[in-house]
Amino acid sequence: MQKRHPLGTFALYATVIVTCALLLFPIYWMVVTALQPSSNLRAYPPQFWPTDPQWNVFADLLAKHPFMLWFSNTILIAFATMTISLAVSILAAYALSRFRLRGGQGLGLFILTSKMLPATLLIIPLFAIFRSTGLVGSLWSVVIAQATLIVPFCTWMLKGYFDTMPPELEQAALVDGCSPLGTIWRIVLPVAAPGLAATALYAFVVSWSDFLFGRTFLTTTDESWTLQMGIASLKGEFVTEWNVIMAGSIMASIPIIIVYLFLERFLVGGLAAGSEK
Amino acid sequence: MTDTTTPHRGRSSGGLFATIDFSAPRHRAKFGYLLLAPAVLLMAVIIVYPILLSVSISMQDVRIARIGDGAEPWTLENYQWLFGSGETWHALWVTFKLVAVVGGLSVIIGFATAMLVNQKFRGRAAARLFVALPWAVPEVVATVIWAWMLDSSFGLVNWLLMRSGMVSEPIAFGSDPNAAFAAVCFVMIWKGYPLMSIMLLAGLQSIPEEQYQAAKVDGAGVWQRFWYITLPNMLPVVGVTLVMTTLWVFRDFAIIHVLTQGGPLGATTTLSILTYEQSFEFFRMGQGAAVGVLTMVLCAVISRALVGRMAKSVH
Repeated sequence: MQKRHPLGTFALYATVIVTCALLLFPIYWMVVTALQPSSNLRAYPPQFWPTDPQWNVFADLLAKHPFMLWFSNTILIAFATMTISLAVSILAAYALSRFRLRGGQGLGLFILTSKMLPATLLIIPLFAIFRSTGLVGSLWSVVIAQATLIVPFCTWMLKGYFDTMPPELEQAALVDGCSPLGTIWRIVLPVAAPGLAATALYAFVVSWSDFLFGRTFLTTTDESWTLQMGIASLKGEFVTEWNVIMAGSIMASIPIIIVYLFLERFLVGGLAAGSEK
Repeated sequence: MTDTTTPHRGRSSGGLFATIDFSAPRHRAKFGYLLLAPAVLLMAVIIVYPILLSVSISMQDVRIARIGDGAEPWTLENYQWLFGSGETWHALWVTFKLVAVVGGLSVIIGFATAMLVNQKFRGRAAARLFVALPWAVPEVVATVIWAWMLDSSFGLVNWLLMRSGMVSEPIAFGSDPNAAFAAVCFVMIWKGYPLMSIMLLAGLQSIPEEQYQAAKVDGAGVWQRFWYITLPNMLPVVGVTLVMTTLWVFRDFAIIHVLTQGGPLGATTTLSILTYEQSFEFFRMGQGAAVGVLTMVLCAVISRALVGRMAKSVH
């Protein structure tokens, strides 16, 4: 690369900053709106900086709605989904990557196709099944429903990652007398940590952000709701208190934004490995 | 501790695998199937069986589906309704419009941001982090933020449009069909471009630097390099990302449901929304399942392009 003209450098930085500012503005606006006193929300022109931040909006939110329950429901669902999906898909992905199995190719294709199923179709039979088994209203219904979409994708991502790892290490471990499961646990998983992190992040984010499954299976009482359902219901209320909604939105997105900031580099690597096939 | 006459047993003493030594070549395949078993069982129960069940529901006159309720006789009524009613065709048209607008614009924005953060500059890692950030924002949260920005009385977007003199009175994003469609597009593009830019960036990084250097030596300008090197190299990746976005728009529910609930006058009712509406608002699950099966078939046709490409990596 030759040296860039100073004017070119300036233009580049200006473009980067303007692009980032434009693309991230909605997130900024969420924070500003949450902190405005409600009278300022109808101000003309709109106020772009919270001169008088109202931190008690968060207390309002907790007092008026079972927000902490929604929060803990969401966390429980996300962790259960992530754990189950990872456990199942690690084994399956390893088998698909390392063994030439009869039917393995068919299964791979099936996994790819099931990634593309419309969730609005799946909820109809799942609803019938959960009604017969009494799972409607239970958090497990959402965990199971989410697994339909997350397990295939995780398996696919992890298979892509295992494919990039040389099998020699595992062979050495097997020769040294390590059991096959022990090899996966002690050799494969530590080496595949970045891929696992990306997959776990993906499962967590997808599960955390779910709206459809919760909306369909958890409608009985608002105490079994998830965060996304709670926020959607706030928007539907007769008088829309935008500052309260935005406060809820901040709390609903902060955990996954933090997870994202920590694990982004793994995710990009993982997704890229999946796309370059 | 170790039985010297059967050295293969080795460390696998005790537990589930004590009897078969899976590291022996002739048992390798068995071990593979064993590893696959949980996934296969899970998918049989939560994917294959539900799909078969939904096809069966779509061929019955069912209002609220449940299992073992004394099966209704099979009928094609739901499919007669499906192809005879204007609702389906309208939803199909809305879905295709949405795919065209969202796919087209987010590939342009995604490509531009990917090109931008592929340049060499200080803070590039942070810029990459930021441009992909909306990917992590939950769909419902993204939707309520935009619903507030597009509010017809106090929304920021209307204030900007009025201030700049582009419109004389606020646009009613909630009640005007075209404006509501545009509102859905805004949210979908904002949510959808980050994944595009991540994948396109990965594509850009895999183009060999030598090609650019050789072109420079031959005297090719910036545009020529873009046109003859970047674009041809990127076409496959663009194709994959477009198919993925198309499938996402086809299947998405949360954004439209929270923003417009498919309205006004069905202007934003996609096939997905129609499926849900029929099944869980009008409680005509038979008809809902028929719409869903149609969506599934269309998604399968579209994803053939993707599967064909990706299947090459399945051995």
